[in-house]
Amino acid sequence: MRRNVLSGAALACTAVLATAMPAFADDPSPVPATTAVPETGDQTAETAASPVPTDRDAAEATPVPAEDRGGVSVVPRGAPDTGDAPAAARSGSDGLLIGGGAAAVLAAGGAAVFVVRRRASGA
Amino acid sequence: MTPLSRRAVVAVAVACLVAGCGGGDGEGSGSRPDVTRPSGTRAPAAAGASDSAARPLARSAPVGLSIPAIGVDTPVVRLGLAPDHTVEVPPIQADDPAGWYRYSPTPGRPGPSVILGHVTVGAYGDGVFRHLARLRRDDGITVRLENGTAAEFAVTSVRTVAKDDFPTEDVYGDTARPELRLITCGGPLEDGEYRDNVIVFAALRATAP
Repeated sequence: MRRNVLSGAALACTAVLATAMPAFADDPSPVPATTAVPETGDQTAETAASPVPTDRDAAEATPVPAEDRGGVSVVPRGAPDTGDAPAAARSGSDGLLIGGGAAAVLAAGGAAVFVVRRRASGA
Repeated sequence: MTPLSRRAVVAVAVACLVAGCGGGDGEGSGSRPDVTRPSGTRAPAAAGASDSAARPLARSAPVGLSIPAIGVDTPVVRLGLAPDHTVEVPPIQADDPAGWYRYSPTPGRPGPSVILGHVTVGAYGDGVFRHLARLRRDDGITVRLENGTAAEFAVTSVRTVAKDDFPTEDVYGDTARPELRLITCGGPLEDGEYRDNVIVFAALRATAP
């Protein structure tokens, strides 16, 4: 009886040790592996994150096109003046001014002639 | 308890111990998917990037612009800011070119690329964007880039707005996809100045090559 119990206990201990040894042997490898992967993940995150800020910094430091940001780096003020009035419109307004001036001169001349004639007839 | 039952108990205990140790391997293998998770997270990002209708082009300045619907085929010059911080405009000359605002994204890059042109150029008559207001939705606009590629845009809307109410955010505000803005003057002349701006909004439809 005791032999059976002792042999069973010995068998159990050897089984535990036999299975535990590879488990212990495996333990170190998963630990570095799992720690190594997050490290590589962090490194990739860092490498992925570092270019973006540098680009942004570079773009913000110099007001040069920041096209990679997906936007306009310097927003202009007001509305663009993209129309120089056509010559016809300008000549039209100039013609009005010239015509008006000519009419004023004619009116002044006529008034002067009228006054001179009135004075001449009165005298 | 008989010897047979004790042996059975011992055997079961040993089996449980062996199974328990094997369970550790199971957890270890279960943790492997966590290790490969970073690559799994990249896949959706790549899929999201491929959702757009046309892929963004590499950064390259525009050198030519063609709008078949209104007979425009013109070179494109670069424009900056005037001293008063307004946008520069193309030169007043015969066969005036269009101008790309160089602080906006190059055509085909994410964001609103802004190109300006005159509606009239004084004594020289009509400007390059004389008939811009005639564009309609889905009309095509092709911008040729310095590196030999081309971006084809489709008109999404045409707006005529008073200069006093210029929609700065709509024109220059950030956009996730590559877009294009064509701007000129329009509306009636008041004291020799155009009252309005005509703005064409377009989105990237295709790229070549």
